[in-house]
Amino acid sequence: MFHLRRILALASNTVTQLLRMKVLFFLLAFCVLVVAAGFAFPAVSEAQQLKLLKDVSFGALQAFAVVMAIASTALLLPKDVEDRTLYTILAKPVPRIDYLLGKYLGVIALIAGGLILMDAAFSLVLYIKQTIVIKEAVDWFVHQQQGQADAAGIAAVTADLEKQGLTWSLHTAVWSIFLKAAVLTALALLISTIASSTLFTIITGFAFFVIGHGLGLFRDYFFQGGISRWDYALSAVLSILCPDLGLFDIVDPVLEGHVPSVMAMSTMTGFAVLYIVGYLTVAHLLFVEKEL
Amino acid sequence: MNGLVRNTWLAIVCFLLIGVIKLPLEQRGATLLREEGSLPSAGNFRLRDDLGQLAFAATLGGLRSLVASMTYLQAFTAFERSNWAQVESLNSLTTQLQPRFYGYWDDAATRMAYDAASFYLYDKSRPALYRNQIYRRNFERGIQFAEEGVRELPKDRRLHERLAELYFRLVGTPDQKLLYPPDYRRAGEHYLESYLNGGLPKNRRFAAYAWARVPDAPDLWQKAYDLLKETHATGYRSPTSVATLKELEVKLNIPPEKRLNEPVPPPPSVPR
Repeated sequence: MFHLRRILALASNTVTQLLRMKVLFFLLAFCVLVVAAGFAFPAVSEAQQLKLLKDVSFGALQAFAVVMAIASTALLLPKDVEDRTLYTILAKPVPRIDYLLGKYLGVIALIAGGLILMDAAFSLVLYIKQTIVIKEAVDWFVHQQQGQADAAGIAAVTADLEKQGLTWSLHTAVWSIFLKAAVLTALALLISTIASSTLFTIITGFAFFVIGHGLGLFRDYFFQGGISRWDYALSAVLSILCPDLGLFDIVDPVLEGHVPSVMAMSTMTGFAVLYIVGYLTVAHLLFVEKEL
Repeated sequence: MNGLVRNTWLAIVCFLLIGVIKLPLEQRGATLLREEGSLPSAGNFRLRDDLGQLAFAATLGGLRSLVASMTYLQAFTAFERSNWAQVESLNSLTTQLQPRFYGYWDDAATRMAYDAASFYLYDKSRPALYRNQIYRRNFERGIQFAEEGVRELPKDRRLHERLAELYFRLVGTPDQKLLYPPDYRRAGEHYLESYLNGGLPKNRRFAAYAWARVPDAPDLWQKAYDLLKETHATGYRSPTSVATLKELEVKLNIPPEKRLNEPVPPPPSVPR
């Protein structure tokens, strides 16, 4: 049914197409932001300095992933129609499902590549910052103890700051951001198969993004009951129509020092696969017979 | 029915079917992840009034940590301007946003109990009685922050240590200690909790020092004595530990043959 080489060719073409839209400038801006955040606010405590760096960097990582997922996907189909490349591709023996999958893989490959680069830059700056603040904190501890500092005390100071520094769990948070972006990309692709304009896809995509994050609250209303009929109907409709993007929000607990279990990561990945397969299937059904 | 119409209906049915199937799964998954601590607590609508719509939407959009950092920085700026009412409200907001980061509780506690309280106490533009009253109120608020933090993170040795330090009145002038007297019983409990949760050995000794000072509490004196005896058996000797042990021997009427037979060591020389 699928032709892998064809899909990969379309995906690589999509990556090139997006790179020509100068999306990599965001990465440059990110690096500047991370370095600035890394060395700003020296007056706050060492642990807070590390946390600020992580918070700002993860905020930027999420912004990059979400904007890329929605905006770049929204641009793809209309641009192919406008440039007439869509007709050239579909005039050849290329099934529409291959075209959709190629576009989808292209976008998520670019997001994955961007996130890897940003994660590497962030990890490097965090490691440098961590080394500096641990040295400062240990020096201060030794000074405070007036030469009586013991090894256990120094180890405790170091361990406390290392917990706020570079840990493996931070990369699991990056994975969760990627999963969220992959789901949003599938959803944006679905919307763009029925959308009449790029703007419609972007606005609807962002609406799903916002509602998707508050969906836990609506779903709780739906399951707990005790509300008016209208509220019940509204919460039911929203819970059915939107994906629960809050399921991918492990970033906050991870930044607080939590280490997610393998079970948590598998659950999240499972949900992402469910949404992606579902939305791409619906997108295919809408696109396969569409008159272009 | 042509292919386009059929597929459109099929797509709608498929989309709704996914929605219906995912609903119970999402509910179960979210509960599971929340119980495991991998998801933040559910959105709190009280935050919306404090944060404003946009920041509240950002907290829902997975940027709660970033918003907490921003409110923390605002609190820090307010601290630099000595705007203590704002320091209190912004710290309260920050701790609500990220209750599982010990640093926010610790900062909030020290800002109120030490910085704000001392600022008011030495502000000569206010009447003395009012200064004393406001000192106590701010010190109390600092303790409340530390207590809330301990409730949120019961295994955090640093928060237990901070709370113990506040109850012990470890930092402060004699005048300040008169205005808000130490609570040695609670100080001892939290020092010991800190030690039991991985805190430094000094916290075990401090628990004993605190309990040794509680008036008319033979049960706590006995606990303090046992703790110090254990430390003594490891070879640890400091002027405070030996002097407190000797003091407890008298209070507990320890038979003379079981008492320490060594002088209180001199204080260590401090390098200058």
